[in-house]
Amino acid sequence: MLPIDAAAHSSRWRHRHPLEKAVLGLGLTVLAITLPAWPGAPLVAAATLAVLLGPAGVPVRRLWRAFRLPLGFCVTGAVPLLFRVGGPGGGLVALDPAGPAHATQLLLRTSAASLGLLLFAFTTPVSDVVPRLVRAGVPPAVVDVALVTYRMSFLLLDSVSRVGQAQAARLGHNSRAARWRSLAGLGATAFVRAFDRAGRLQTGLAGRGYDGTLRVLVPATRVSGRFLTATAALLAGVTALTLVLEGLVT
Amino acid sequence: MHIAEGYLPPLHAVAWTAASAPFVVHGVRVLTREVREHPESTLLLGASGAFTFVLSALKIPSVTGSCSHPTGTGLGAILFRPPVMAVLGTITLLFQALLLAHGGLTTLGANVFSMAVVGPWVGYGLYRLVRRLGLPLMVAVFAGAFAADLSTYCVTSVQLALAFPDPGSGVPGALAKFGGIFAVTQIPLAVSEGLLTVLVMRLLSQSSAGELIRLGVFARGNARQDGQQGDEQGQDRQRKRVA
Repeated sequence: MLPIDAAAHSSRWRHRHPLEKAVLGLGLTVLAITLPAWPGAPLVAAATLAVLLGPAGVPVRRLWRAFRLPLGFCVTGAVPLLFRVGGPGGGLVALDPAGPAHATQLLLRTSAASLGLLLFAFTTPVSDVVPRLVRAGVPPAVVDVALVTYRMSFLLLDSVSRVGQAQAARLGHNSRAARWRSLAGLGATAFVRAFDRAGRLQTGLAGRGYDGTLRVLVPATRVSGRFLTATAALLAGVTALTLVLEGLVT
Repeated sequence: MHIAEGYLPPLHAVAWTAASAPFVVHGVRVLTREVREHPESTLLLGASGAFTFVLSALKIPSVTGSCSHPTGTGLGAILFRPPVMAVLGTITLLFQALLLAHGGLTTLGANVFSMAVVGPWVGYGLYRLVRRLGLPLMVAVFAGAFAADLSTYCVTSVQLALAFPDPGSGVPGALAKFGGIFAVTQIPLAVSEGLLTVLVMRLLSQSSAGELIRLGVFARGNARQDGQQGDEQGQDRQRKRVA
């Protein structure tokens, strides 16, 4: 299992309705990209961190491990904004005087938005979200394919990891040529195993009267009005505080 | 290759979602029709989605000595066709955002457009063109995978340039800036992905001839000409060797 999904399955909010967590997490993400980056993004990030580490109970270390990857993307994505092509000096590339401010704003915005997404991901297993997409208008055939993809991905990742270990044990990573051969073997093995597993699943399901629809038990949960009210209050509070502080700054 | 969550301004995020929507809707229609006609396809398509997800998680050695991930769009388009790849790519990108924190939900439309729409269509188009010219299968596979990878990065560069025009030279300057940064790493990576895809396809043509015929990659009668070992015994032997 992947660390974020494992954390979502053991989350304090595991049994809350995915809609509640979507409104909260994705609402904060939308605020991060729509409010002015300063002071909006730091406020959104602070509110998201408070929810993540407080009521949602996500351990700091797990959060950091998951967050450092998007943070790396945010930093590398902000670097090009420090430079401009051409300029008054006549050089091909020059430092942009307004670059640091733009790069900082972008870094703040993407970091806050990523935290909002992580709030949703750390509290909501994908297996809770996908079957409910039918009610959102996604065709059942696509939802079924997504469910099979989700469940088979973990088995394949595990398979590929074991094959990789076996290749390493047989000196399959010892030279550049061997690494390429091993990598191609890994890709081909993933294909063979995926289709082999699909064939066996098909045989098993056919024996149980498979008619083309995968019936999955979705735990019955109710949308909490109190949770949604609290979420609306938090989102409204962050928006109001941002606009007030922005007014004070300007 | 993934545009991170929150990186694009809201209008751009909405515009790229609208641009990718027709392709995904078309793919959904094709997929729904396929599942209605052949219910067992659900499992094969799910397996294909899982294969795409795992393929994008493999690390390929880059020329600079570091590692990167293949996009998998070229191989996916050759095996499953671009319309289905638009749906499988969207599912894969959604899972990457939720399970790995790669990409994001507000940038999903932009990422789908570059990785699940343009990459597969360009790669598949070139693959078909090279095949029509009568060149060997593996040349077509290399061309398809190389073009799919490179076109994905070109579109990403355009998306970033439109979102963040250069203060001095506007969108063309920003395109040169982002394209220049990508070119250093992505041209070698596109070559690497092309080579890897050829190696994977060679192994698949030996070990999974039946599946490739079923997917329409090889014509039934030409399977032997395409470099496969047709007999069951040979396939089993190769499958064991791959594993």
